[in-house]
Formats: sequence, structure tokens, C-alpha cells
Amino acid sequence: MPNDDILLRIGASLRELFAGVLPGPDAVDVAMYFVALIACVALIFTNAVILILAERKVAGFMQSRLGPHRLGPYGMFQTVADVIKLLTKEDYRPQGVDKWVWAMAPVVLFVPPVMVYAVLPFGKNLVPVDLNIGIFYFVAVSSVATIAFLMAGWGSNNKYSVIGGMRAVAQMVSYEIPLVFSILGVVMLTGSLQTSVIVEKQSGIWFILLQPVAFVIYLIAAAAETNRMPFDLVEGESEIIAGPFTEYSGMRWAMFFLAEYASLFAVSAIASTLFLGGWHGPSFLPGWVWFLGKTYVMIFVFMWVRWTFPRLRVDQLMALCWKYLIPVSLANILITGIGIFAYRAMGG
Amino acid sequence: MRTQTYELNMGPQHPSTHGVLRVILELDGETVIRAKPVVGYLHRGIEKICESKSYPQVLPYADRLDYLHSMGNALGLCQTVEKLMGVEVPERAEYIRVIMAELSRIASHQIFLGSLVGECGALTGFVFAIRDRERILDLFDMACGARMTFHYIRYGGVVQDLPEGWVEACRKFLDDFDGMMETYRNLLVGNEILQARLKGIAVLSAERALAMSASGGVLRASGVNYDVRKAEPYGIYNRFDFDVPLGTVGDSWDRMMVRLGEMEQAARIVRQALDQMPEGPVMAKVPKLIKPPPGEIYHHVENSKGDLGYYLVSDGSPKPYRLHVRRPAFVNLQLLDELCRGYLLADVVPILGTLDPVLGEVDC
Amino acid sequence: MYGKGLLTGLGITLREFFRKKATERYPEVRPKLTERFRGGKLALEPEKCIACGLCSLNCPNGSIRLVTVKDEAGKRKLSEYEYDAGACMYCNLCIENCPQKCIRWDKKFDFAGYDRKHLIIDCIAVANAKKAAEREGGAETHE
Ligand code: SF4
Ligand code: SF4
Repeated sequence: MPNDDILLRIGASLRELFAGVLPGPDAVDVAMYFVALIACVALIFTNAVILILAERKVAGFMQSRLGPHRLGPYGMFQTVADVIKLLTKEDYRPQGVDKWVWAMAPVVLFVPPVMVYAVLPFGKNLVPVDLNIGIFYFVAVSSVATIAFLMAGWGSNNKYSVIGGMRAVAQMVSYEIPLVFSILGVVMLTGSLQTSVIVEKQSGIWFILLQPVAFVIYLIAAAAETNRMPFDLVEGESEIIAGPFTEYSGMRWAMFFLAEYASLFAVSAIASTLFLGGWHGPSFLPGWVWFLGKTYVMIFVFMWVRWTFPRLRVDQLMALCWKYLIPVSLANILITGIGIFAYRAMGG
Repeated sequence: MRTQTYELNMGPQHPSTHGVLRVILELDGETVIRAKPVVGYLHRGIEKICESKSYPQVLPYADRLDYLHSMGNALGLCQTVEKLMGVEVPERAEYIRVIMAELSRIASHQIFLGSLVGECGALTGFVFAIRDRERILDLFDMACGARMTFHYIRYGGVVQDLPEGWVEACRKFLDDFDGMMETYRNLLVGNEILQARLKGIAVLSAERALAMSASGGVLRASGVNYDVRKAEPYGIYNRFDFDVPLGTVGDSWDRMMVRLGEMEQAARIVRQALDQMPEGPVMAKVPKLIKPPPGEIYHHVENSKGDLGYYLVSDGSPKPYRLHVRRPAFVNLQLLDELCRGYLLADVVPILGTLDPVLGEVDC
Repeated sequence: MYGKGLLTGLGITLREFFRKKATERYPEVRPKLTERFRGGKLALEPEKCIACGLCSLNCPNGSIRLVTVKDEAGKRKLSEYEYDAGACMYCNLCIENCPQKCIRWDKKFDFAGYDRKHLIIDCIAVANAKKAAEREGGAETHE
């Protein structure tokens, strides 16, 4: 069945092609990694364009509006036009910013999501780099984004930006913990950190049924990690204008947007990997379609929540994390452990 | 460790200062030490302008004070001048005035609710409120041809009778109004995050509210039962049966809930007025040249922001000698500093929202 | 239960997702203007006007400027009639005070321009151009 998969076939023929021109299997591997990297970056860009449109459409529809509807059928080319506009805008650097820190921040912010894409199990045998510590790698890499927010906030030399940057650090560092703990429940069930193995183990039952509490915690923590409503204090436009992004314009500003949607996709993909059975689904569609479908459902949920809830306050955000999410996720780990032990003791 | 406070300049260009209000915040981290509102960015000198205009020409300026409750402002000014001139307003006109003023109150509170929750981040609630307000504006448009600065209520009555089909359209709106309130309640009032954001924040005691001469929803949220419509009924307000919603705690949440209650009461008044409204003329006999006798007069009405007063001095000429407006939003805004102290930066905007300033009125 | 309000809220937005939208697709779908709609520019009927100047006198903002001349018979006549939409507050006082009922709103509300000068309208010229167009085409044209 895997051979029916068009993406796999493309991969296989590319490999053959490289084997013909390149010396040795190592070089072929490196070339294949490059192909995967390019595919990932291409996915991020096209995806961001689609997601921005989708977000505006969802927001519009939930607010009794139509969203963008003027450019192309259903406003499909709106984001394309926006990107062109942003690209052609003047590259404006405000006076008094810390030149290097300020300019590097959008780039640094963009790196972690791209790196996360390396371990996403798009389908059976369709993992760009199937690390055996894939989930651990995801957690480690995505926490790098914190630095970028701090750089943007600090480098902008603007009080609103500093407040936003500080909020970002406090929020993202705190929410990392429940995020990891919620993942831990799944890892305990599978005994592996490899994303492909985790998905493989869900061929029978999706882990959302075994770990519902972990799923909910993951959702909350992931929303906080990606600074989305109701946790978008980092940019909270009614209080601190746009937080760390206040002083950015044009394509630099768009990079923040790209990164936001790239990481939204990443956390949604991880959610469908860990809890929703990844590529598993009835076999009339290839696995990667199922995977993407589940990911988009998760993205819709995030958008839905965003356009319904108000934002929390800083102290409430911290209280939610330290007083509720962490104890609950710890309890969840304990119960999972007991459950696994009991299951083994019963000779399962 | 030595810490230092810093100043943050919020506004006049800021996404959520209700127009062009500037607030100078002194912050310790994110905690507010002092919040100093700086007003005047929308100052047009309306009081001074009015001294050089004839009475009919003054009236459109009243619409531009609190542009969210224009009908109420015009009603107040008209009644002031009528009181001084001793004009009797026809019955039907009185009813139309009440209906318009109360519909305007609903519309104004919808903006209040929408902008308050929008500032807390629930933009969908904001859009819903604006969408529903549009229905009221449609009614106004039908009656007077404008959606914002109506110039409908005039000295001696209203300028035109209601057009055909207006009463039915208004009843239809009132039927849908309950559904709108239901939506607000489910989407916003029931929302635990919004409750957490507003409950227990910026508590204003009844004594302080009175001492700072607060009025309107801000005062009533602190539990003081003072509504000009009840305390000194003007026009025909004594004919209607309505309650004055009161708060118990005086926090931001109460200020929001009081306004929500007022919307329902306003709808109740409109329903009664529609039922009781007689046929007849809508304009009293007023001379073409309006020349109130020399003298001075103070008249106040309850508009959506609070106790709106007009102090008019006439020297017998066709132009007011002096017109002073007691603008409730301006007076209520004094409380900002007191209410914000000790709360977080994120609270400043909702606190400002619950004081409900309209900069057209604050700056005048 | 804590969280119930959140779920109700989610239900409301999801319901709205599938409901009919309130958006008006403006330039294609024109809004239905009410009969009493005050907006657009003042339209003058120069033949009916008796050049009494009441409209200008009653305007709070001085947005109507008119110049009168005496013709051979010694009758007052309009020679210029300018309306400044930029200063107009759409209060309707001019129209209400016109004894001849010869000004009205043209209700063409979308006349934004790149210069304030575009907001000053020579009403006599507009009326004459309209009449000329009517004489030629018969049908009403849009400026
Ligand atoms: S509508 Fe009012 S402001 Fe405009 S021209 Fe007429 S009188 Fe003047
Ligand atoms: S009030 Fe009427 S008749 Fe008199 S000048 Fe103005 S437009 Fe002409």
C-alpha cells in the first residue's frame, strides 16, 4: 500500500535519480535531506498564506462577516496581494533600535518552526528526519522561540515592546512545563520518543481516548506557547499595541506572522501525532491526507477559540499555569503510571 | 534590589483609548502607580461656538457632544430652552422623544459593551454588538435620515412625524432585542475569562463615587440609587414603569452589568411608549425666531453616560449668552486615576472602558 | 461548573459560523437609502430659487455661499451658488428653511476626492449640466 502513495513515489524516484549522479549512499542521504528541507520551507510558506486567509475567513464567518472577499473568488488572492504589498514596502528601521538584535529577531523566530517540521510524521515512511528522540527534539527546539521574542522586545527600544517581550518570556517558559508533562503521558504509553513509533502505536486506539486530560492540557499549553488567544498577552493589541512587533513593519513584520502560523501548524501537527492517530485513517485516502486533515481540524479549533474568548490577564495566566495545569498534569502522569502498572500486573 | 518606576504614554494614538484620550501611566513593572488622563485632543470649543449661533443653529452641536447618545443630548438641550420659554410640547412628540432617547441609550450601551469586551480581547462580542446596533441606526435613519448626528428632536417637538411603518419596524426590533441580549449573556456575561477579568477590579465605594460626583452607570454600580429619570422626572418619564438596575460591589463587573440591565429597562420603556403613543401633532407652535426671555436655567437629563446638565443664560437675544454643559463622561473620567492605582497595565483599558468616556463629550 | 460559559460561547460562535452574514458587498450592492436620507450634496433648482439667501443665513457652518445680482427688471437673481460639503454638518436647516423648496439632497453619498476643493460644489453648474444631459440623452446620467 505505501507504494500507492504519490509522495513516497516521488521520494523514491528522487532517490534513484540522486543515486545515479552522486557518489555513495551518504551523499544521497544528504541530498534527500535537502529536498526535505526545501519541501518543509515550501510547505511553511504556502501554508502560512492559506492559514492567514483561513484565519480571516473563520474570524469573519464567526463575526457575521464575509472576511476577505474582493480579490479573486472568495478573496482567495487576498494574502498573495498582502504579501506583495509587504514585500514592496519600505524597509524602515526606527531610530534608536539595537540594530543587530532588532534585525535578527524575526529570523531567529522563524528558525524553530522550520526545525520542528523535520520530525513531523506526515505519513508512514514520510518523516523528513525520523529522529528517535523526535518529541524531545520538538520540545527543545520550540523553546528557542522565547529568545526571539525577547530579542525583538529588547532590541526595539520601545516600552511597549519590552513589556511584550517580558511577558513572552514569562509565559512561554512557564507553559513549557505543562506542555512537556502532557506529552509525557503519551510517551509513557508508547515508551518511545520517536514520532513515527508513537503514531504506529495508535493504529488501534487514538491516545486522545486514553489521555483526554493530557490532550486538553496540551491544547491550552500549546495555545499559550504560540501566543494565541486567550493567551495572546504578548501582543495584546488593546494594551500594548503589538508588543514586541510594535516597531516592525513591512516584510520583517510579515516574518513574525509567518512564524506564528508556522508554529501554529507545528503544534497542531504534533497534537494530531500524539493524540489523534497521525496518519491513521480509512485507507481510501493516503496517510498524509489524513494527517493534514487532522492538523487542519486542530487549527480550526485554535482559531475557533481565538475568536470566541477574551484574553486573560498576566497574573491569571501565571496562576492558571502554576496552580492548575501543572498539578493536574502531574496527577495525570501519576495516574497513567498506575494504569500502566496495573495493566502490566494483570498480564497485559 | 532597587527598582525604578517608569512612565508609559498611552495614547492619543492607541488602539483602545476610546478615541483620542491620552493617559500618562506611571508603572512599576506592570503595576499602575498613577494614571493621569490628558484630555483636550478633540476639543472643538462647542460651548464658545454656541454663543455665536442662533438657537436653531446651536442644536446640531448638541448631537456632537456625546455622539453615541445624540438623541439624549438634543432632548436635554431642547427641554432646557423650552423650560425657559415655557413651551408646551405635544403629547405625541413627547412619546417620540422618549422612544428615540431610549433607543439611543440602547445603542450607546451596545457600543459600551462591545468596546469593553473588545478591549478584553473578545472581538467577536464587539462585532455582534455593533451589528445589532446597526438595527437601531436603521430605525433612526428611517425617522430622520441620519445614522449618527440626527438633529431630529427640536425646540417644541420633533422635526417630522414618524414615517409609515416605523412603529412596526421598531416593534420588530424589540422582538429581536431579547435574542440579542441572550447572545450577549451567553457569549460574554457567562464567559468565565471575562468574569475573571472584571470581577473585583477597580472597586468604587458609594462614598467615593458620590464624592467624585460620578453619575450614571458608574454611580449606580456602586449601589447609589440615583437616576435623573426617577429622581427628577423630566418630560413624561413619570408615566413609565421601569426599574433602575443597581450594583452591589461597585467593581468593573457591576458597571458592565448595570449597563446591560439598563438596556433591558430602556427596551421596556420603549415598549410602553409605543403602546401609549397617541396620534396628533408633533410640533408645538414655536416662533420662527427663537428668543427666550432673559434669565438663566439649569436642566439635566439622564443620558447614557450619566447626569447631563445644561446651564443656559439668555439675554433675550436670539443667541445664547452662555451655554455650559455638565458632561457626565468628563466628570466620570476623573475617577480613572483613583480606580487604576494598584492594578495591572492590562486592567487600565477595561477600567477606562467601564467609565465609558466618549471623547466628543469629554473634550467638548 | 467552571468552563460552562466558555463552552456556551464556543457554541454561539460556531452557530454564527453557519448563519447568514451581515456584510453588505458595498460597491456592487448599493445600500437602500431611506426616503428621508440626508447625505450627498445639495442639489439646487436654479429656476425656482428666488435668491432670498435664507438657506445660507440658516446654515450653522456657513457652508452655503451665494451671490445675487439684480436683473434689468430690478429682480434679485442668483449668480453664484456654492455648497461646501466639507463644512456641511448635514443638519438639514437649509432645506427646511428654503421657502421655495428648491434645494434637496442628491443622495449620491460617495464623492470622496483627493482634494478639499472637490468638496466645494458649484450647484448652478451642476444643475445646468444635468439639464443639458437630459435634453440630449433624455436619460438621467451620473455626473
Ligand atoms: S445641511 Fe446644515 S450645514 Fe449643511 S449646508 Fe445645510 S444648513 Fe448648512
Ligand atoms: S433658501 Fe431656497 S430660495 Fe432662498 S436662496 Fe436658498 S435655495 Fe434659493
